[in-house]
Amino acid sequence: MSAAHHPTGWRRWVYSTNHKDIGTMYIVLSMIGAIIGGGMSWYIRLELAQPGIQFIDDTQLYNVMVTAHGFLMVFFVVMPAMIGGFGNWFVPLMIGAPDMSFPRMNNISFWLLAAALVLLVLAGVTGGGPGTGWTVYPPLSSATYHPGPAVDLAILSLHVAGASSILGAINLITTIVNMRAPGMTMHRAPLFVWAILVTAFLLLLAIPVLAGALTMLLTDRNFGTTFFVPEGGGDPILWQHLFWFFGHPEVYIIIIPAFGIISQIIATFSKKPVFGYLGMAYAMCAIGFVGFVVWAHHMYTVGLDVNTRAYFVLATMVIAVPTGIKIFSWLATMWGGSIELKTPMLFATGFIALFVAGGVTGVVLSNAGMDVALHDTYYVVAHFHYVLSIAAVFAMYAGFYYWIGKMSGRQYSETLGKIHFWASFVGVNLLFFPQHFLGAAGMPRRIPDYPDAYAGWNMVSSVGALITAIGTFFFLYIVWHTLTRGRAAEANPWGVGATTLEWTVPSPAPFHTHEDLPKIEAAQGVE
Amino acid sequence: MTNRRHIYTAASLFLLVAGMVGLAFASVPLYRLFCQVTGFGGTPRVATGGLSTGTDSSDRQITVRFDSNVNSALPWRFKPVLRQTSVRIGEEKLALFTAENIGEKAATGTASFNVTPYKAARYFAKVQCFCFEEQRLEAGQKVDMPVSFFVDPEILDDPNARDVSTITLSYTFFPAEPEGDANSW
Repeated sequence: MSAAHHPTGWRRWVYSTNHKDIGTMYIVLSMIGAIIGGGMSWYIRLELAQPGIQFIDDTQLYNVMVTAHGFLMVFFVVMPAMIGGFGNWFVPLMIGAPDMSFPRMNNISFWLLAAALVLLVLAGVTGGGPGTGWTVYPPLSSATYHPGPAVDLAILSLHVAGASSILGAINLITTIVNMRAPGMTMHRAPLFVWAILVTAFLLLLAIPVLAGALTMLLTDRNFGTTFFVPEGGGDPILWQHLFWFFGHPEVYIIIIPAFGIISQIIATFSKKPVFGYLGMAYAMCAIGFVGFVVWAHHMYTVGLDVNTRAYFVLATMVIAVPTGIKIFSWLATMWGGSIELKTPMLFATGFIALFVAGGVTGVVLSNAGMDVALHDTYYVVAHFHYVLSIAAVFAMYAGFYYWIGKMSGRQYSETLGKIHFWASFVGVNLLFFPQHFLGAAGMPRRIPDYPDAYAGWNMVSSVGALITAIGTFFFLYIVWHTLTRGRAAEANPWGVGATTLEWTVPSPAPFHTHEDLPKIEAAQGVE
Repeated sequence: MTNRRHIYTAASLFLLVAGMVGLAFASVPLYRLFCQVTGFGGTPRVATGGLSTGTDSSDRQITVRFDSNVNSALPWRFKPVLRQTSVRIGEEKLALFTAENIGEKAATGTASFNVTPYKAARYFAKVQCFCFEEQRLEAGQKVDMPVSFFVDPEILDDPNARDVSTITLSYTFFPAEPEGDANSW
């Protein structure tokens, strides 16, 4: 491959085999998904601002929006941005590889995901839409209660998105295992690379189980099998077991890349190597492993016997140990460091605060006895939005500000970035913290109306959603401002703290990088 | 050279994916086997052939209650002849259920079953049961359906289960072929 090979026009993007261009497309797709999925959540909060039905008369439509919001945010916003976007862009740059191991498969991964997004939108506008929730539990998702083609289209969309993720994961693992530059041992690889490696393995083990379960649901709906139908000897609980065997690792698929991004940023802006590098790497492996044996904590109310619940409580609480290792190692990295509170660092510290808040309520919910009272209330909604949505999104913002100079060649405005951080931080906390109170008071999720007693905190939450929305549109303005007005970024805008290989190439990163493999003598900022 | 390494790595990873898909489907028979062997989740045992019934029966009595349900898609009436019975541990006992087709067409039903408390399920063994096969009733036909069972004396050796004094055996009749057309749209 010669350096002159640089396709232009639409061919550059549609036929792309370049990890940077594909990464950029993933990030753009994620932004589109975020605008649709975010728009739905704001519409939901608008309806929920006051008791009674104001805007959404059609409750099926409400259910469809809740469902689509979940699918979009999980499969078409967070995963594409972190794994497809930052993973594609920075894994090869960080390990000193010229590109991914299978560039054409990389292209297919992206376009399958784009096709899946189209299928999901089609599902939403067909035959009443899938109002099943993102968990798609039968019998609600069965042909009896969702007779139209909407659920079948949604299933197909997830199949295609799953195929995309599996191909992407295989590509990333092969790249990380085989294409590290000379001297880049695994124990010298940056933590973001470790994070993506662990995530890719989780994808490979979890997504096929979802695909299998979805296939069973599809044949139950259309071909008369009875996997989840009791009269045929099936069991709807089987769906929940299979779904959550995928679904629990899925939440780590979302958050572990965030751990990687945060580790890079905390080290860079504390101007210190990450505290306890090996502990950090193997804590992610441990979280990934234990993540596969805790799934039934989503199902405490299905009638598990007491010994089973006791096991799942214990196993779930064990996850707090490696997670604690990560939190304390980040704090220890900052401890005594020369901290510079640039925008990425603000978002990284914000991430730690939000993730700890969500993690603490997670430990509360892991208790089977407690969970029976809180199951399917807004307490759970607050919990998983703290960890998954806002902590993960803060990590994405942090990654964006950290790497946008490298990706676009232009640096964002520090003032605008800081305004965006504070608007987001105030907004999301005002949005989600009151939901703990609502849930503890018993407000159920996924219902567009509620008794007057819940009115106060719901209004506060909706005001928070408005502030968050303003912050988000402000972010889109920052993207535009950066790309058109931003000053040129130097190769390394962050100084001595930024020691990973992507800062050794010019900004914007040239179309082809590391064609002469770098030689790594000592660890790159991680030891 | 390196290319072959990539293919090798990717092929192993694809095998891993195929294995996980296989496991997802294998989970159905594997879980059924697991439940049958351990009595997990209230799955009663099926006594095959001359199991040691009555040989070391105990004097302790246990109350067995019967619960019957019919899915709304099946126009049947289904009731136990006796609501409950008392059985000596280890003794084989026959219980009868009455089923009547009150619909206008012949219908085939199949019964799913469960035992509570779950911890007693592994000691509750059925020798014969109408639930082992599908049952067909002509319109208006009324039949007695038998189940014979015994409580395994080993229950007395299980410190977790020996306090059980009442066992509930529950049946739910479903239409054997799902009524609604899955392809109705």
